[in-house]
Amino acid sequence: MSETVKQILDRLYPDGYMGRLGKVYTDTSDFMRITGGDVIVLAGEHYLVLRDEMERSFGVEDPKYWVKRCRHLESGERRILKLVFYETFSLSMGEMKIPCYRSPRKEARILDLVRNDPRFMQGFPAADEAGNNVRVLYVVQGKRLDNWIDDLDVDHPTYFQTHLPGILEKFIVSCQAINDLHKMGEKHGDIRRDHLWVTYDTGDYVWIDFDYTFSFHENPFGLDIFGLGGLLLYIVGKGFYSHEEARQLIDRNRKIPGIEPEDFLLVFKNRLANLQKIFPYIPDALNQMLLHFSSGSRVYYETMDEFLQDLTTCLKQVK
Amino acid sequence: MDTNKILIAADGSENAERAIDYVTDILQGAAGFHIKLLSIEHLPDRDFFADDTAWKDACVKNREKLIAFLAHGKERLTKSGIPEKQVQTDYVESCHSPLAEKPDYCSRGTSIALDILHVAKTEGFKTVVIGRRGVSKAEEFMFGSVSNRIIHAGSDCTIWVVQ
Repeated sequence: MSETVKQILDRLYPDGYMGRLGKVYTDTSDFMRITGGDVIVLAGEHYLVLRDEMERSFGVEDPKYWVKRCRHLESGERRILKLVFYETFSLSMGEMKIPCYRSPRKEARILDLVRNDPRFMQGFPAADEAGNNVRVLYVVQGKRLDNWIDDLDVDHPTYFQTHLPGILEKFIVSCQAINDLHKMGEKHGDIRRDHLWVTYDTGDYVWIDFDYTFSFHENPFGLDIFGLGGLLLYIVGKGFYSHEEARQLIDRNRKIPGIEPEDFLLVFKNRLANLQKIFPYIPDALNQMLLHFSSGSRVYYETMDEFLQDLTTCLKQVK
Repeated sequence: MDTNKILIAADGSENAERAIDYVTDILQGAAGFHIKLLSIEHLPDRDFFADDTAWKDACVKNREKLIAFLAHGKERLTKSGIPEKQVQTDYVESCHSPLAEKPDYCSRGTSIALDILHVAKTEGFKTVVIGRRGVSKAEEFMFGSVSNRIIHAGSDCTIWVVQ
């Protein structure tokens, strides 16, 4: 007869407190029913569910019922379990809708490919009794890069001189990581600000969450490259600037270069790409990189090699 | 230059139908032309399916649809008066296809445009015809455009882009 949650906790986590003693799950198919106080058993290991993961955006918390914050009872460490949830949805990119899929097998495959590579979150796939491809993830001890940058309490000129060279240096390592994925025929699939984290211990950057996938025949890595362009814009600007914010900065600097629609990102049309208009000390080469993602551009990056080559040149100029 | 050899990119879309219609109209059954309808297999993404059986089923359907499209295109051309022996169809398999029978040339899946140009070059087609999707600038950046890439990468051949 299999153990109850109480028996498992008495054996493996006797000093821990759990308000609710739930059920033991060896089949995670019905993930909506699995909640705090339940125990998931995978390959003989026990994971006490603490709560559902939350997605935070615009100050609103949205539960992700298929992602469980857990305690691995054999080690006592925290883990995240991503249960199998197939989802097809439209990703909004400005006015475009891109059909995307959530693919457990893709993320499981990448976890295997990037094992022991500190540039990516770590974990391993483990099948439950029903054959569901559960991903067991180690928690990244750190902070989102955008929040980390946002919390630097300095003005832009100081940030640009003091912090940006070091950030760009680490960002290049992250871009090389994506390039390596592409060379293995894989894509991250969801490169955005909240998916690159700064670790507390080393300060290095770590990519998380690669279960999204999409299918573009002629430009398979275009969405990844565009995501990196957006991140670079955020990093260089220490934030994004709308038309109104840019106008205020220009007025404050008593300079009045015209801001044209082509100065903004090709897809997110209210994010200024031509940052040199508000921060004139940005070198031409770096600004030119940002302009490759703008509405006015006629030439786009097709490969990470091109992107990295330019970014490496830019780093030398800002150092 | 052998301008009488015409390669039509036929991906099963309405744009490809327009390309076939255009060639049919412009040739008016004229003799002396050699036409190839070419499909490059683009596999459904394996990650979109829960298991390989479902993926393989989708690959089979995909292939059947394209081969039927090629046959239909050939019928339209021959009905216009072009002799049947002067119209060929060709289906280039993906190198990753679960149905592949180890062909001499297969598509690596990185660029349909370059696959089309490879066939044009190796088989001496001096005219390449493709229907255009009409994508926006942003879509071209994100998704790529087969017709634009053919225009940029094509050399030693004439490209007809049918709107």
